[in-house]
Amino acid sequence: MEYLLHILILIGIYVILSISLNLISGFTGLISLAHAGFYGVGAYVASLMALNIHSPFLVNVLCAIILSGILGALVGAPALRIHDDYFVIATFAFQVIIFSILNNWVSFTGGPIGLAGIPQPIIFGWNVSSHIEFLLLIGSLCALTLWVSRRVVNSPFGRVLKAIREDEIFAQAAGKNVAKYKLQIFVLGAGMAAVAGAVYACYITFIDPTSFTIMESIFIISIIIIGGAGSLWGTVIGAVVLVTLPEVLRFAGLPATVAANIRQIIYGSLLIGFMMWRPKGLLGEYSFQRGGPGSER
Amino acid sequence: MFLQLIINALVASSWYVLIGIGASLILRTCRFFDISLGALFTVCPYFAFLLKEWFGFPLVLSIVLAIPSTMLLEVIIYTSMYSFLFRAKASPLIILLVSLGLYIILQNLVSLIFGDDTKIIRPIEVQEGLSIFSAKISSIQGVSILIAIFLITLTIVLIRKSKIGKALRAVAIDPELAAVSGIEVDLVRLWSMVIACGLAGAAGILMALDIDMTPTMGLDALVMGLVAAIIGGPEKVIGVTLGALFLAIVQHIGLWELGPKWHEAGAFVILLLFLLFRPEGLIGRKVKKATV
Repeated sequence: MEYLLHILILIGIYVILSISLNLISGFTGLISLAHAGFYGVGAYVASLMALNIHSPFLVNVLCAIILSGILGALVGAPALRIHDDYFVIATFAFQVIIFSILNNWVSFTGGPIGLAGIPQPIIFGWNVSSHIEFLLLIGSLCALTLWVSRRVVNSPFGRVLKAIREDEIFAQAAGKNVAKYKLQIFVLGAGMAAVAGAVYACYITFIDPTSFTIMESIFIISIIIIGGAGSLWGTVIGAVVLVTLPEVLRFAGLPATVAANIRQIIYGSLLIGFMMWRPKGLLGEYSFQRGGPGSER
Repeated sequence: MFLQLIINALVASSWYVLIGIGASLILRTCRFFDISLGALFTVCPYFAFLLKEWFGFPLVLSIVLAIPSTMLLEVIIYTSMYSFLFRAKASPLIILLVSLGLYIILQNLVSLIFGDDTKIIRPIEVQEGLSIFSAKISSIQGVSILIAIFLITLTIVLIRKSKIGKALRAVAIDPELAAVSGIEVDLVRLWSMVIACGLAGAAGILMALDIDMTPTMGLDALVMGLVAAIIGGPEKVIGVTLGALFLAIVQHIGLWELGPKWHEAGAFVILLLFLLFRPEGLIGRKVKKATV
């Protein structure tokens, strides 16, 4: 039972992460490989505050959102000048830099040893401690994320985002301040990812930089590609499929070291398969098809 | 001490430059960032390891056989995947994500078959290094630098003088016009990827001979190569070479106080600065792309 709840909680965390990335990548068309970085910054800010100044959970989450949002603006800023695959490389760069800081700034972040003993959250006197309580917390945060994202993508704001995705020059010609929209969506997405990071840190009570590597970013982007870029429910399905997949392998009785590799190979194959035959994913509406090899770059 | 740092930077740049030239060749003719080149960089020394340890071949023969085997693998990959994507006019982003998936598969296959621990292919007996004033350079490091210089020259000659090089340049400038002029664009792209793969494989072997190998070494090397290509200007081999030298010198001398653990972050800070303020690279011409 506890095991089942644990899987559900993990799914919840990845739903928040992938929906926030879908706002950036699926709805606005800015593929970002820096999302695990925002997730990590959220986790580290919340944990460091809880451990060092013993501030309440909600204050920690708020600070994590603000800091991660500022970082989001920083990562989104190059999107104003560089495009498509060059932008992917730039976000890759940010991801590696963030990981490098978490891993190498030992005196502040604990370095590779990580941070242990992160206290469980207390929200208005409610001490979240058991699995079922965490599931409630995560579930309500997922619902909140979905609701906010729905409001965002169905609003006039969201329509401009889709216009930027389909044809940026056209959006600009229609008098939209493309730069402002891109930055805003990056700040929003990064802030949401920080919430997931803060809750993850409290739930596991231990974090180290290896949870926030480039591979984690690739995993989150795979959820979107498989679930469907530009589809909120598709993202939820993608998260469920990709988080439960390794658990199925666990029951197949493979040794742990082999299972880790096989899991990665399956992710890689899924990524290739979907990109080659169904780039829209299961329920998506955007297929990353802008500027083919024949077109002018 | 300073001389030693220069030598270290030269050795590091000899790896960066080879894989960087490979990545820039693919970028020019196929117009995407090939992440899977990082996996082929890893696969090549592992092929050599397999031939040497499991079949008992001598080291030199294993290396000589490993590079064509990796190129053959690239031919299989190209004909089974990339050529379809090119024909379907897939966007650079889609092809980049496919090559990322391919990288993940190949890297994990290597670690499934050989394990994650460090493997050694260099000859066991430690050779006395050459001393230049106070600096030391091992024979393999010297060979690395010489081979890199040789391969850079070879690639420049190939691109400038040979028929295939001419076709490569034509496809790089305008694939459709090239196709109309009777150039087999598909074949030229295959050539460019196989040449890139050979360069990357050679770099992988040189790196493995010097600092041994692990299944994940390719991604780091590839991104350094990409950084070198972007900051130098991927349009010209000489640009990539300058980019690699610049990158390695900044890493080894500029960040010397901080230590090697900041090399990667340093490289990416340089990359971001270039992308933002000089996207055409050190020697590239300024091109105004789709003015937004």
